[in-house]
Amino acid sequence: MKIALAFVLLVGLVATGQEVRLEPASSAELGDWAQSLVPLRLRSTPAQDVTFDGPALALSQWGEVVLGTSRYTLLLGVRADGQADLWVDANRDRRISADELLVGVRGPGYVEWSVDLRSTPSGGAPFPYPLTVVWPEGRGYVYLLGGAPRRGTLVADGQIVTFVLVDGDLDGVYGTKGDFYAVDVDGDGTLHGDPDGHERFALAEGFTVGEKSYRLSQIDPGGAQVRLAPTGYVPPKPPLLPGYPAPELRFLTFPAGQPLALSDLRGKVVLVDFWATWCGPCMSELPFLLDLYAAHSARGFEIVGVSLDTSERDLRAVLAGRDIRWPVAFEGKSWDNSLAQLYRVYQIPTSYLLDRSGIIRYRDLHGEDLVRGVEELLSAPRGEEPRLPSPPVVIAGPPRPILEVHAPAEVGLTPGGALVVRLVNTAPYEAEEVRVSLTGLPTEVSAPSVEIASIPAFGEREARLVLVGTDALGVGFAATVAVVYHYCVADACFEIRDTAPVVFTVGGAPPPAGAFPLWWLVVALGVGVILAALLRGRVLAVVVVLLVGLAGASLVVGVLRGQATQAWRIGSVLCTSCVGIEEARSEAPTLSPAEREAIARFSRSAHLLVFHTPWCRSCPYAKALVAEAARANPRITYELVDADEERSRAERAGIIQSGKVVVPAVLVVETGQVLFGTTNLASRLAAALGEIR
Amino acid sequence: MKLRTLRRGTQSLGILLGVFGVTGIGMTHLLFPGLHCYACPLAITVCPVGLMQNLIIAGTVPFYFLGAIAAYGLLLGRGWCGWFCPFGTVNDLLAFRKVRFVRALSPLKLLVLAGTAVAAWRLADTWFCKLCPAASLTASLPYLGLGVAEVNAPFLIHMGTLAAVVVGMALVARFWCRYLCPMGGILSLFNRLSFFGLRLRGDRCTECGLCARSCPMGITPDREINSGDCLKCGECVPSCGSSALSIGFSLPGARGRDPLRTARAAPGPDRVPPRQ
Repeated sequence: MKIALAFVLLVGLVATGQEVRLEPASSAELGDWAQSLVPLRLRSTPAQDVTFDGPALALSQWGEVVLGTSRYTLLLGVRADGQADLWVDANRDRRISADELLVGVRGPGYVEWSVDLRSTPSGGAPFPYPLTVVWPEGRGYVYLLGGAPRRGTLVADGQIVTFVLVDGDLDGVYGTKGDFYAVDVDGDGTLHGDPDGHERFALAEGFTVGEKSYRLSQIDPGGAQVRLAPTGYVPPKPPLLPGYPAPELRFLTFPAGQPLALSDLRGKVVLVDFWATWCGPCMSELPFLLDLYAAHSARGFEIVGVSLDTSERDLRAVLAGRDIRWPVAFEGKSWDNSLAQLYRVYQIPTSYLLDRSGIIRYRDLHGEDLVRGVEELLSAPRGEEPRLPSPPVVIAGPPRPILEVHAPAEVGLTPGGALVVRLVNTAPYEAEEVRVSLTGLPTEVSAPSVEIASIPAFGEREARLVLVGTDALGVGFAATVAVVYHYCVADACFEIRDTAPVVFTVGGAPPPAGAFPLWWLVVALGVGVILAALLRGRVLAVVVVLLVGLAGASLVVGVLRGQATQAWRIGSVLCTSCVGIEEARSEAPTLSPAEREAIARFSRSAHLLVFHTPWCRSCPYAKALVAEAARANPRITYELVDADEERSRAERAGIIQSGKVVVPAVLVVETGQVLFGTTNLASRLAAALGEIR
Repeated sequence: MKLRTLRRGTQSLGILLGVFGVTGIGMTHLLFPGLHCYACPLAITVCPVGLMQNLIIAGTVPFYFLGAIAAYGLLLGRGWCGWFCPFGTVNDLLAFRKVRFVRALSPLKLLVLAGTAVAAWRLADTWFCKLCPAASLTASLPYLGLGVAEVNAPFLIHMGTLAAVVVGMALVARFWCRYLCPMGGILSLFNRLSFFGLRLRGDRCTECGLCARSCPMGITPDREINSGDCLKCGECVPSCGSSALSIGFSLPGARGRDPLRTARAAPGPDRVPPRQ
C-alpha cells in the first residue's frame, strides 16, 4: 500500500503546475488593449419573450448579450424627440422596467452606456462583468466593449511578472476561442498587449520568461485562476517597438524572383510597408510614396513593400502601371502572408521606418511626418544614429555566451607545459568554429591557438594550449584565455567573445590558497567519525548512506548542468532516425539525374521550411538535400527552423504529432504539405513541388 | 489485500504513467523508473537508457541519469521491474513457463548496457533504441498508425526484435528481464542495497523449495534472496508455508533486518541451516 501511495503521489506531482490566482482589473489601468470590441446586431423583436414597461418609443431595437449561461436583453429605444435610450434587463426577469434605464453619454455621432452585468459561466463561479455599449447613431447594431480583464502575478524563471487574462470574445467565459492573455515577459512593468504586441498571446500560445517557457494548461471558466505548465522552448515574440531591431525578412522579389533580405539593406533607411492593391488608404498613399522614393532613393532610402494581395494579376497591373521600382514581396496569401505574420500585422496600411542599422525608429508615419522621419534618419551621420526615444529594454535570450570557459586560475610553468581549458556548452545550440587562444603573453612566449570545429548542444570539449618559450623566461606572468565562437538560432547567428584570466607561475602551481579550508576537513572528519560510530558493523548501511549522498550530488550536478532540461527537450521531440522509425542518413545527399531534372523543371516559386533539432542524426541530411534542391532551382528558397526552439512555429506547421515535434520534417509552405523523415526524400520533394499550382 | 493484487495495482500505475500524455500533459523532466520509450506518443517521461545515450553522444558525463538511476535503485532496486515497469508487466502477462534460470546468461543484460553506452560513445548513435522492443511496441507501432512511420527496414528490424522477445517471453518467463534488459541490469547493481526488499527468517526456512517453484525468474529465493536477478515481485512470499519470507521497506544493513544477514543467521534448534 505504501508503494501505491508513493506512486499516486508521483503521478500527482507530474500533474501539477503553477497556479496563478486572478483578481478583477480595469481596462482603464491596464490600457485599451485589455478590452475587446464586438459588434452586436439589433433586431426589431426580442430574442425571448420580454415585456417593456417604459415610455412610448418611436423606434425600438432589441439585442441579447449572453454571458455564460445568463442572457441579458437589451432594448435600444429612440423617443419621438430623437433621444436614444438603452434599457438592459439586468435582473433577467423578462420584464424591462423603468428603473432599468441606463444613463448614456453622447459623443460625436455615437451614444455610449456603461452597465454592470454578471456572468455565470458553467463550471466556474459567477463574476461581475462591466460592459460598455456604444451605438453609432442611426445604425442597426451596437458595439460591446469589455473583456473583464483579470490580473495576477506568476513566478517564471525566478522572476515575478504580471499576468492578465481577457475574455476577448465577450461571452462571459474565460478560456474560450477569442480570449487572450498578456504576460510582462520582458519585466519592464508595462504590458504590451496590443493586437501586435509582443506580450500578447492567444490561449494556445506559450510564452517565455528568461529561458523558461510556459503554456496555459488550465483556465477556470470564472477567471478565478489559471494553471501554467512548462513547455518546450517558445521563441519570444520580437518587440515591434521603436528602438528594437526589425525582424529579418527574406523573400523573392516580385515579379523578378530575386532573393532579398532586409539585412541586405543595412546602411539604408528602409520603410517596410505592408499594403495591398485592394486597400483604399494604401492606394491613395501610393503616389506620395512614389514621390518620396524618387526624391530620396539616391540618398539611401529604400522601400520594402509586402503585398497582402491575393490576385497576382492585380498586383502586376499596379506595379507596372505605377512604375513601382522598390522590391515587393508577394505570396498571394492575404493575411496569412508569412512576412505579415512575422510582423503580426493585423491591419493595413502598417509601416515601419528603420534606420541605417535596421532598428525600428517610427511606426505608421504618413504624409509630412513620414518625410520628416526619412529626412531625419537620412541626415543622421553614418554610425551615429539618432538617440533612441527611450532606452530599449533588454530582453533575456540570445545573444549570450553559451560556452562556459573553465580555465585554472593559476598554472605552474613546467617545460613543455600546457594549459587545459574546458569548454562546456550550456545551451541547446551547437557552438561552431570555436577558437581558443592566449592573449597578453610576454613577447618571449607564444601559444598557438586551438580550433575546435564545433561543440554540440550540451557537449563539452577540452582545448590544450601548449606554451612555447617559457623555459628562458624564468618569471611568472598573467595572460587571458580568449574564446571566440558563434552559434545560430534559426536564421540568426551570434558571434560571442569570452575571456578568462589566468596566471602562470614558475615552478609548478602553488597550492590554491583557500580552495579547501582546513575547517572543512575537520568537519568532514568529525561527521565521518560520528557516522562510523553510529553505523559500526553495518557495512551495507554505510554503503547505502554514501550512495544516497552520491545519487543526490549527481542529480544536483546534472540539474545544474542543464541535463534535466536536456532530457525534457529530447523527450519533447521525436527524432525519427534516433528511435529507429527510419534509417539514419549521414551521407551527403545526392540527387539522381531524374530528380534533379524534375526539380529544375519546377517553374513556380516554393519556400521550404526544414525543421530540425541539434541532436537529430538525420537532420543534416534533410538540410543538405533541401539546400541541394535550392541550388538546382533558384526558384526554391528554404529556411532552417530549429523545431526545439520554435515549437510554436512547428505547431503551426503541423509537424507536431501527439504533442511531439517530429524531425526531420520539410514543410512546403505553398501547399502546407509536410514531408517527414529522409526516406526517398528527394523524390517525395520533387513530387510535392509538382503539386504547387 | 493480497500481495499480487497490490502488485497488479502498482503495475497498472506504471502503465498509467506510461500513457499519462493522454491527459494533455506534455513532456516532463522526469526519468521513467523502468523501460518505456520517450518517443511513445503518450509518454510524459524520459527513457533513462535513451537519455544516457544522448548525454554520452553529447560528450557529457550523464550525471542526471546516474543520479536518478541511483535514487531509483536505492529505493526499490529491481522492485521497479517487478512492481512498476510496463514492459515488465508485458513479460508478466506472457509468463507461461517458469523454466530454470540459466545463470550464465544473466550478465548479458550488463553487456547490453555496456554495449549501449560504448555504441553511443564510439558510434555517436542511439543503437539500443533502434532495437529496443519497448520502442517497437510503444513508438514504432503507434507512429505507423499515425502515418509518421512506414514499413521500412528499421521498422521491420523493430518488429523482428519485438517478435523475438515475445517468443522468448512465452518460452521463458520474464525472458527480457532475466537476460537482456539494460535497465534491469543497472538496477540489479542496487538490488541488495535498496530500501525495499525481501526478508528471510532462516530459522523458519525448511528449504522445501516451494518459493523456487513460484519464482517467475527461476531463482531460488531462500538462497539468492535480493540477488541481482530477484525482481522482488513477492510471488514467493505467499508460497512459503512456514512464513519465512516477507517483503517490505527497511534500512539495508539494519540489525536484524538485513535479508542476507538474516539468511545467514544461526539455525534454530530443530531447523537445518539455510544453504548459501
